[in-house]
Formats: sequence, C-alpha cells, structure tokens
Amino acid sequence: MASTAVGGKTRRRRAFSKKDRVTLGVFVGIPTFLHVALVWFPAVATIGLSFTYWTGIRFSDIKWAGIANYTNIIFDTPAFRIALKNNTIWLLWFALIATPLGILLAYQIDRQIRGHKFYQSAYYMPVILSLAVIGIIWNFMLRPDGFVNGLIGRDITNAVSFFGDDRWNLYVILTIASWRHIGYIMLLYLAGLKAIDPSLREAASIDGATEWQTFKRVIFPSMKPVNIIVVVITIIETLRAFDIIYIIYGTSAGMPILGVLVFQNIAGEGASMKGAAYAVILFVLSIGPILAYLRQQFKEDVK
Amino acid sequence: MSEVTNGVSRRSVLKGAAIGTAGLVGGGALLSSCGGDAATGPLSFGARTVDESPTKQLKALVAAYEAKTGNTVTYNATESNAFQNNLSQYLQGTPDDAFQWMAGYRMQFFAEQGLLVDLSDVWEEIGDQYAESYKIASTGLDGKQYFIPQSWYPWGLHYRKSMIADIGLDPEDIYSWDDLMAVLEGMKGKGLIGLASADKGGWEAMGTFDILNARINGYQFHVDLLGGREKWTDDRVREVFKYWEMLLPYMNTNVLDLEWDGAMQLLLQRKAGLFFNGSWFGANFKEQSDADYEDLWIIPFPEINPEHARDTIDAPIDGFCAAANGANPDGGKDFVKFAGDMEGVQAMLDTGVPMTSANSGQDTSTYDAFQKQQLAVMAEAKYITQFLDRDTRPDFAGPVVGPALQSWFKNPKDVGSILESLQSQWDALPPL
Repeated sequence: MASTAVGGKTRRRRAFSKKDRVTLGVFVGIPTFLHVALVWFPAVATIGLSFTYWTGIRFSDIKWAGIANYTNIIFDTPAFRIALKNNTIWLLWFALIATPLGILLAYQIDRQIRGHKFYQSAYYMPVILSLAVIGIIWNFMLRPDGFVNGLIGRDITNAVSFFGDDRWNLYVILTIASWRHIGYIMLLYLAGLKAIDPSLREAASIDGATEWQTFKRVIFPSMKPVNIIVVVITIIETLRAFDIIYIIYGTSAGMPILGVLVFQNIAGEGASMKGAAYAVILFVLSIGPILAYLRQQFKEDVK
Repeated sequence: MSEVTNGVSRRSVLKGAAIGTAGLVGGGALLSSCGGDAATGPLSFGARTVDESPTKQLKALVAAYEAKTGNTVTYNATESNAFQNNLSQYLQGTPDDAFQWMAGYRMQFFAEQGLLVDLSDVWEEIGDQYAESYKIASTGLDGKQYFIPQSWYPWGLHYRKSMIADIGLDPEDIYSWDDLMAVLEGMKGKGLIGLASADKGGWEAMGTFDILNARINGYQFHVDLLGGREKWTDDRVREVFKYWEMLLPYMNTNVLDLEWDGAMQLLLQRKAGLFFNGSWFGANFKEQSDADYEDLWIIPFPEINPEHARDTIDAPIDGFCAAANGANPDGGKDFVKFAGDMEGVQAMLDTGVPMTSANSGQDTSTYDAFQKQQLAVMAEAKYITQFLDRDTRPDFAGPVVGPALQSWFKNPKDVGSILESLQSQWDALPPL
C-alpha cells in the first residue's frame, strides 16, 4: 500500500495493464505449456521409462527394471560398441575434415576469389535439401544397380559395394554427410565473416601480417560467437545422425549408429525400453560436451 | 462410469470424423449404399504393401466388397517396413478398421494387448473353408481367433527351368547336401553365382538360418531354440554356421549390399543359378513377363541330416486382422470376413496375380504349374514354421538376430563370439 503511494507514478508506468497481462500470459504461457508438454514431459518420461521394461502399449504392463536396460546395452550388445565407434569416427571426421573445409571455403569466398559466387551457390545447394532427401539421392547414385555402378559398367553381380563393404562404407556415408555439412558451416561462417569490421584486416595488413597470420590472430578470435555455434553444431550433427543411415540401411543396423539403435529398439512390434535407454545415453553424450564447452566459453567471457 | 462415457464419446467422435472424411471421398457410393441390407457403414483398409501386383489384388478385393455391400472403403497403402515399424502406434491411435498382417506370434502379441477384434464368430461362419492348421495359426493365446488367412508361400530353392544346362544338373535331382555342393561348384566354374543371397534388410538371411537349422538339427530343436528353451551357444548351432560357411564361396559377394529384390534380380537376369527365398516373388517375375514366370521353379532345400530328411519348411501365412480401435470395428470385421470368404478370395484370384490362397475353396487343380510345384514342396514337409522373425520374440528377432547375422557375413570367423553374444542378449531380454 505504502509503496504504491510513494513510487506510484513510475510504478504505474511499469505495471502492465490487464490487457497486457493477458497478452503476455498468452504469449508466454502457450509456448511454455507446449514446450513443457512436448519437450520436457517426453524427455523426462523417456528417462523414467529407460529404467523399466515395457512393450509400449498398456500402462499396467510397465515393470521396474532398474539399470538392466543399461547393463544390457553396455555389456551385452555388440552393436552399441560399433555404434559408439562409428559416432566417434563421425565426430572426428566432421571436426577435423568437414568443418575446417567449410571454414576454408567461407574464407576463400569472403576473399572474393575468382568465381566465388558460383562456388557459394554450388556449395550451398545441398544445404537446402533435407538429410533424408540427400540419402535418397546418394542411395540412387551408389547402390549396386545405381548410377555410378552403371557408369563404370558394373551390374549387380560385380557392383562396387559402396554401402555393404565394411572397409569403406562408413567413409562413403561420411563423404555424403559432409557434402551437406561443409555447405552449412560455410554459410554460417560466411555470415560471421561479413560482419567483421574490414578495418581490422586493413590494420593487420598494414602491420605486415600474412594472410594466415591475419586469419589466425585477428579474424578467428573475433569470430568467437560463430566459432561456438560451429563447434556445437558439429557435435550435434554427429550425434543426431540418423536420416541418411535410415534411408540407406533401414532399421536393419547395417550401419549401427546411436540414432538408429534408438529407433530400432523402440519402433515396431518389438518396442523395448532399451530404445529409451539408448536415447538417454545419446542425450547425455550430446549434452555433456556442449555444456562443458559453453561453460568454459562463458567463463572466459566473464574474465 | 465416467471412463465408459469417455470411451463411448471418444469412439463416436472418431466414427463421426471418419464418416465425414469417407463421405467426402465417396459421397456417391454412400448414397448407393442406402439400399444395401448388410451395410456396416464406410470403413478404411490398411494395405501393408505399395508393390504393383499385391496392390492390384487388394484393390480388386476392395472393389468387390464395395460392389457387394455398398459400403465405401478408403484404401490406405503403406510400404511394408514402415507399416511394421509403426504398427504399435498405429493400432493404439486411429487405425484403419481392417488391415493386412501376419499369422503366428506377431498376431498373438497384438491380440494379447487387446488391439485386435475377436473374429471367432467370423470363423464360425467361414471356418469350414479352411484347413485346421490355418485356424490354429489364426488363434491367439486365449483360444480365440484374431486373424483371417489370405495366402501362404513356401521358402525353397528357386531356379529357372531354362537354365538347367547352365546349372549343370537338373535341380530336381538335388536331394542331398553333396548334390547341392556339386552343382554350386559346377556353376562357379562357369562363372555363375551359385546361390543368390541378400541380407541388407537384416531379415533375408533368417530364412537360410531357419532351413539349415531345421535340416541339421530338426524341427523340435529349431522351435526350442527360438523359444529360448535351447541355447545359441550349443554346438548344434555352431554346426549350422559351419554348413552356411560352405555356401559362402558360391554366393554373390555383395550380400550386405542387396535386399531380397536385388538377389531376385540376379536370378531374373540369369546371373545366378539358384535363389533361396519365399515364392511370393513369383508375382514380380510375372510383372516382368509371363515367360519369366513360367520359367520359374521351386524345389525343397536339400537334406543334410537323414534323420530329419526334408521334413520342415518355412511357409509364412499372410492375411487380415480387424483393429479394435478402428472407427468402425464392425465394418472391419465385415470386411475381413468377406476377404476370407471364397467370394473375396475369388475377386483376388480373378486379377490373374498368382496367389496360393489359404482358402480350400481355391481349387488346386486351377493352380498353374509353379503353384502346383509349391504345393508339392509343401506336401513333402511334415512340420511348418512361419519364419524366424515370426517365430520368436519381436524384440529379439529384428534388433538382435538381424544384426548378428549381418556381422557374421562380415566376419564368418567370429561365429563363436557372435553366438555367445546372441545368447547373452537373449538372457538379457525382459521377462514377458
């Protein structure tokens, strides 16, 4: 009562009218409700269910399993180890090859090398395609009766086994995935580079810095926000990899990766909460490094 | 009390919605149905295929049903793998009233969950058109029927009659394992693939496992193994892979790159002499040309252990179920009854797409030569199994056995650790 009397004027200005409150309530409330209902609730439910046995049909059938699903995955399921290995190779490939290539391209295009407009559209093109479509395109190209085998004059009896041979099939998939990832990273980085004050570069060249020095010492550090996004995206893209593999191999686990194992165990008639446990493992793996990285970055900012 | 009311209102809402949609789609047919006496209202049918031949067959069935009853049927087709992957969710949501499915464990599982309509009274009406074995295959664990069989097909060695000279011996004379090996070796010498094989889909090779296990260790061991009463680490299972490994040199090298239809192409294009598969692909040959279809033949997989001779065969039964959560379960039931009745079967047969119907009303004398041979192959077997992924737990077949067989193809020498892992994964399955 007293406070309204004292600071009445300023408070009244700040206070929301009834209409405002309703509007705000609706604008904040509905998305929050949807978010909680569609994101948090399923996430928490998945975590809970990963500790149970359930066929996914009748609630009364849910049985407590403790950590049985997890011990099953970690100790008894060879596909899990293969999937971990594949996801790790995927991450290394993206981090050491695809992402740096995207950055290199962005830098070259930003430097307006000859034909940069052409390169820009050419590399950007795959990004507008969904990964599922990319899977369909490359499956058509590389399957035994596909375009490439036809081109080199091989039929299905002696076709190059792009997707079936363990020695290289992961790298075939990674090349396909990079086809899009490079363009994506290029685009992100290019947007960042355009925003950099040209005078920084000028100053660097006046000081006699070489191109590499300029990039390493001036451009790269000033691109920090974009760098964070690029790192996070690279990790996320690795762990959520699913579409291409699903299109090419179906649920057969011909190429085990974590995303497919989640689906394989939870879809269909054989619904088992092992799939939920895979999902939780995937969640922990994705959230862990990202949180750690972000925390470290923000700590530096605070300093 | 309130639960009941909710249930009813929810159902009538769904029903109303479905009638509304179906009415929009087939208003004309609806009007014409007014005079029909057996009208159970518009319904929807879910087909588990998008392939040309079966679609033709099912559309003919739907048309015949519509013509007879005046009920409109909405035809929804889904590619079979996608259909299978979504089935749990589909049956719990707003499923089609009638849908295509498979007999055996896969049907029983959903019947147990209360998701299928009890068809016992349908069986009372049309049951005399089916042999007892089909009734058993259609029966749930509670003794009621939930399934109407449509057709069956045997798994056997297929070849082209015109290739007998290439194969080097009339395959009819392949009776024992040694005969088979001799023929395969001969074909290899001629630069042919002996045995077309595929396993990219993860299930194709299960058929080979089934038959080798049944030939070597017998029917009883096979069903006991799949039921968990025998162990995968048993030496007898090792034996299966020993024989299988002998076949590897005569297979195409890209087994993991081909799905079943890729392996079929090898036979179709005369690049392979033999193809072990279910005879359903006869329809695909027929799509190519009548000459290709007439060239096709099947023989049983050869004997390995004289004790078991050739007494077992995988012969899966496909058919129809009605969904309990459908908008019009009575309509679904009415439709599957029609599909199981000779009248519906005849509508499918009239399309000319080859089908070995489960209905005894299909006179086997009307079978074409290839179908008669399928029947002969069946007749030799004393025991009929469905298929590995229909005879064991679904959470074991697809996610565990499938990848295990694929990794065996990659590295046959790892058989020991693969089998140990199969057993430990079986042991880790949740109690049912």
